[in-house]
Amino acid sequence: MPLAYTDYYEVLGVPRDADQDAIRRAYRKLARTYHPDVNSDSDAEDRFKQVGEAYEVLSDPEKRERYDRLGANWREREQEAPDANFEEFFTRQGFGSDDTGFEFSDDLFERLFGGRAGDGSGWRTSGPLRGVDREALLELSLEDALEGGRRKLTLDRRDIDVNFPAGVRDGQLIRLAGQGGPGRDGGPPGDLYLRIALKPHPAFRRRGENDLDVDLPVAAWQAALGATVPVRTPSGTAQIRVPEGSSSGRRLRLRGRGLPKAGGGRGDLHAIVKITIPKHLSDRERELYEQLAKDSGQEAPV
Amino acid sequence: MSSEQPVELTVIARRAGVRIALVRRYLEFGLFEAHPEPAESPRYDPSSAARVARAERMRRDLGLNYAGAVLVSELLDRIRELESRQ
Repeated sequence: MPLAYTDYYEVLGVPRDADQDAIRRAYRKLARTYHPDVNSDSDAEDRFKQVGEAYEVLSDPEKRERYDRLGANWREREQEAPDANFEEFFTRQGFGSDDTGFEFSDDLFERLFGGRAGDGSGWRTSGPLRGVDREALLELSLEDALEGGRRKLTLDRRDIDVNFPAGVRDGQLIRLAGQGGPGRDGGPPGDLYLRIALKPHPAFRRRGENDLDVDLPVAAWQAALGATVPVRTPSGTAQIRVPEGSSSGRRLRLRGRGLPKAGGGRGDLHAIVKITIPKHLSDRERELYEQLAKDSGQEAPV
Repeated sequence: MSSEQPVELTVIARRAGVRIALVRRYLEFGLFEAHPEPAESPRYDPSSAARVARAERMRRDLGLNYAGAVLVSELLDRIRELESRQ
């Protein structure tokens, strides 16, 4: 149990002389703001716990007085031998005051003095409850998403090994059972959902849901005469036939080489012809282009 | 989202970590519904366990009543759906 000193007045944002109404109002507002089921920020749960702890102390005149007087050491007195109040508590909780040999466990300490016990307003009821489902982002390259693999993630200072299957889609949720927030009072832990996010790719551009575009650089004569040229696909290089008379911008479709579809199968890859002229021509090339220019006339093709 | 088979109400209660009476209560308030496929006893989507736990956490922590917790659950789902469309 972390016992680092936190200024409870600061946590609730109230002055040190705030009355009980002001403290309750501040607590309710902050509890709504930081409740981990409502607020998806990663530090919301910690803030929520802190707010609960602050309210637990400041809403109880006895604890508040001790906190005002002792500051960081306000808990110390409570760790001494049980006094009458302790006796009364244990009797109420069903612990006999006879010799049951009970141990003063951390859990019991927390129920007595931590943030989870009843706060006097009648809001909280105890009992086991499953923990919060969490969501985290898993950024993958396109190649990794297609191939599947594993990643080590650090969440809440925990390392989690994640296996993701081949063919995950952008935005897809992967459920990791029991890897979410801890359960309360012996309840089961929540689940962790990983949301897949595909990183932008230097070569492939998304086209709609499942298709990809890739540039296909070809030489002028290949575009004019037709040729079989290599094309980059997400799963390696393939050969594609460029038909004769292809202009820049022509789309050549490679079926099933795109992204995985929701219902199985894969989208298409579109290779987009991009006629590429070398910056510097050899003398022979220049001669041939001049010949071509002379024979075709100087006008641009329509 | 969940590809698991529908389960009985007792399984929902166990996975949510709560008593079955509480699960029935949320069922009455319409937090989740029986799976449409006919079976000998009613079955429920396993994701209902997380819905029950979430509603119950908000009820306990924020002072909501059952109807309030169910309403907030539905609003949270709608917000999430709208956000995911962007």
